[in-house]
Amino acid sequence: MDAFIVAIRTLHFAACASLAGVGAFECLIADPALDGSATAADLSRRLNSLAWISLALAVISGLGWLAGVAADMSGQSLGGVFGSGAVGTALMHTRIGEDWRLRSALVVLLALCLAWNRRRGRFAGDVAWIGLALSVLLLASLAWAGHGAADEGTDGTIHLVADLLHLLAAGAWLGGLAPLALLLTAARRDSASGMTAAAATTRRFSLLAVVSVGVLLASGIVNTWYLAGNVPALIGTLYGRLLLLKIALFLAMLTIAAVNRLRLTPRFDGTDAHAALARLRRNALIESGLGLGILAIVGVLGVLPPGLHTEPIWPLPFRLVVSALSTGALVMLLIFAIGFCVCGAVAVAAFAAGWKRPLGAAFIGLIVCVAFGGAPAMPALVAAYPTTFFAPSAPYNASAVDRGAVIYAQNCAACHGADGRGDGPAAAGLPTKPANLVQPHLFAHTPGDLFWWVSHGYGSVMPGFDGVLTPTDRWSVIHFIRARAAGVIASGMGPAVSTIAAAQVPDFAFESGGVQDTLSQVLAEGPALLVLFGADAPIARLQQLGAAQLKLIAAGLPVVAIGVNGASQGAVTNPPYVVGLSAKVAAMLSLFRNDSDGGETELMLDRNGNVRVRWTASGGGLATPETLAADALTVARFSGAAPNHAGHGG
Amino acid sequence: MTRHLAIAMAFAASLFTAAPAHAHAFLDHANPAVGSTVPAAPADIALWFTEHIEPAFSTATVTNAAGERVDRGDAHVAADNPAELQLGLKPLPPGTYTVHWHVVSVDTHTTEGTFSFDVGR
Ligand code: HEC
Repeated sequence: MDAFIVAIRTLHFAACASLAGVGAFECLIADPALDGSATAADLSRRLNSLAWISLALAVISGLGWLAGVAADMSGQSLGGVFGSGAVGTALMHTRIGEDWRLRSALVVLLALCLAWNRRRGRFAGDVAWIGLALSVLLLASLAWAGHGAADEGTDGTIHLVADLLHLLAAGAWLGGLAPLALLLTAARRDSASGMTAAAATTRRFSLLAVVSVGVLLASGIVNTWYLAGNVPALIGTLYGRLLLLKIALFLAMLTIAAVNRLRLTPRFDGTDAHAALARLRRNALIESGLGLGILAIVGVLGVLPPGLHTEPIWPLPFRLVVSALSTGALVMLLIFAIGFCVCGAVAVAAFAAGWKRPLGAAFIGLIVCVAFGGAPAMPALVAAYPTTFFAPSAPYNASAVDRGAVIYAQNCAACHGADGRGDGPAAAGLPTKPANLVQPHLFAHTPGDLFWWVSHGYGSVMPGFDGVLTPTDRWSVIHFIRARAAGVIASGMGPAVSTIAAAQVPDFAFESGGVQDTLSQVLAEGPALLVLFGADAPIARLQQLGAAQLKLIAAGLPVVAIGVNGASQGAVTNPPYVVGLSAKVAAMLSLFRNDSDGGETELMLDRNGNVRVRWTASGGGLATPETLAADALTVARFSGAAPNHAGHGG
Repeated sequence: MTRHLAIAMAFAASLFTAAPAHAHAFLDHANPAVGSTVPAAPADIALWFTEHIEPAFSTATVTNAAGERVDRGDAHVAADNPAELQLGLKPLPPGTYTVHWHVVSVDTHTTEGTFSFDVGR
């Protein structure tokens, strides 16, 4: 099924690109360059045939695509979708169907234009332009069938526009290659006048190619950003690696285009014009082949989940922690990175044009950039594992932490100690002391690093739990040790706003006024104040917060107050912000509250749930509503950033 | 200068963190929430996805511990939100319920998943 969709998508992209490319070639290149020459009439007939073939292929593959999609969506076999009406449903009731209905109309109009041009038998003015417009729309409307269609808002618009431009530029360049080869073939046959025509068209075409390449690069970078998004996704997933392969093919095409432009085109005026023409024609065919390769990759990419939605297998034994770089080192790194790109571009141009000396200089430049750029990056390289960038398969929430606590007690406490300080009963007899798991250092490692160690062991002493615990259980225990360490880090915080984002409170569900809510939904709006009170809760404080509640909400600070450590909720007058929850959640939250805190612990959380400010009834006292509102403004500015992995000098 | 530096640093850092991107419809959140315990039986369930979904091909079912269907079989996309799937429920006695969803995003990708919630325990 997938193989069918991939093949059919590739064919459809190629056919639509060819239609738009032929149209663009006719109107923008051949018509102005060949005006009235002998080559023109012959070429126009050939181009028209090429357009008809492309149109036929586009129709067949378009139908096949719709059938494939209908089969996929309805879970039926490809043969069954026509009989069961699934194709009809897909055509009439889905977004892609809407797109396809519009495109069918375009195909009919386009066929009329092509028929009209065929009868005229020469590059026809207005109708050819209309045909070009129609084929451009046919190609552009494919953007709605891609991943770009799914985003919403500004991001969605940017992605969609980038997709559109990318398609059109690819069509103009890739689709123009076959017509170029046809023209060069024709030119070879009728000597003198043909040669002038070939020279003129090639020059125009390479201008079009340069513009297309610029657009392809810019829009390609935007698309890569939206779909692969980060380095691990780019080099660690099939999607990302295919994308890199696509870029490599693109660079190969670019190099050939540069050879054409810098070395072959100038020779048209010289004595070996015929040889240059032959090579140019051969190059156009090679480029077409590479272009088809790119389209095949595009076909595959369309059915794969984008890189950001699959687990990246990190292929390197190290990773770069950007936040560990000093400003100076970062500037150095940037300078050498830019230098690297410039040298690379010079190297390609010099290679294409056959300039020996600049080529050598560019290569030396590349080596220098790698050597000197590597030096400042060295201290920021830390060990990494294949699972380093895995996202936990279980969410970081109270039930995972609860489950993790049980697993920890059964499997880890003997060595690491009941409270994680590395002093369990079995620790004494071990050659290496078990790691202290409640130090901030824990957050210098990604959850994926911990997953690797828990799965495959650490050093010679700690065993791997690969065959013992399921992946979900391994993630649960990791969530538990991270939540516990976060609690310990949080207990070191005070009434000054912390810039460290390593004390994340797990998500949990609670009930407030009969309505189900979760911490993550509260935090989606911005910071929040988490109030944890014990049996000796200062009632006056809860009432003070109750009185200031509207003011605090206006300042963007909802209050969620919870009784833990044996607090009886009935003891307070139950202000609306005091919520009810399960024993599991209360147990998890008690990780964030010490007995020495007195009756109440108040934690201000940023958008990601990291504790940023902490007040306790016993130490320093609690904040006035004014202070709370002011701190909320500061904390709101931390929003957006993912929890960083503090430590390692960061 | 410092501003440009900050932008450059943010860009360099961003290469290693996630950018906002979706293309397949994944479950964003649900009511009753994933893994939650609700005191009273809900009359319906709502699932919010990360993408707009195709009404014609998106559906969900709810089963009890014995594997019997307890939904009303009326899964439909909310009129006011193309990313929200709604489903009516029969009266639910206390117990654990499993929700299975199967949706197609508007860019034609199929995704599915399962989660559970508890009623009154
Ligand atoms: C047989 C004893 C033993 C058991 C059981 C054990 N560990 Fe360890 N663990 C160790 C030792 C020893 C080290 C430190 C090795 C070193 O520093 O070279 C360690 C290191 C670690 C580290 C690395 C910490 C860091 O920051 O470098 C993590 C995380 C960890 N253990 C988690 C766990 C978890 C989770 C479990 C239970 C699933 C567990 N361990 C079970 C002995 C054990």
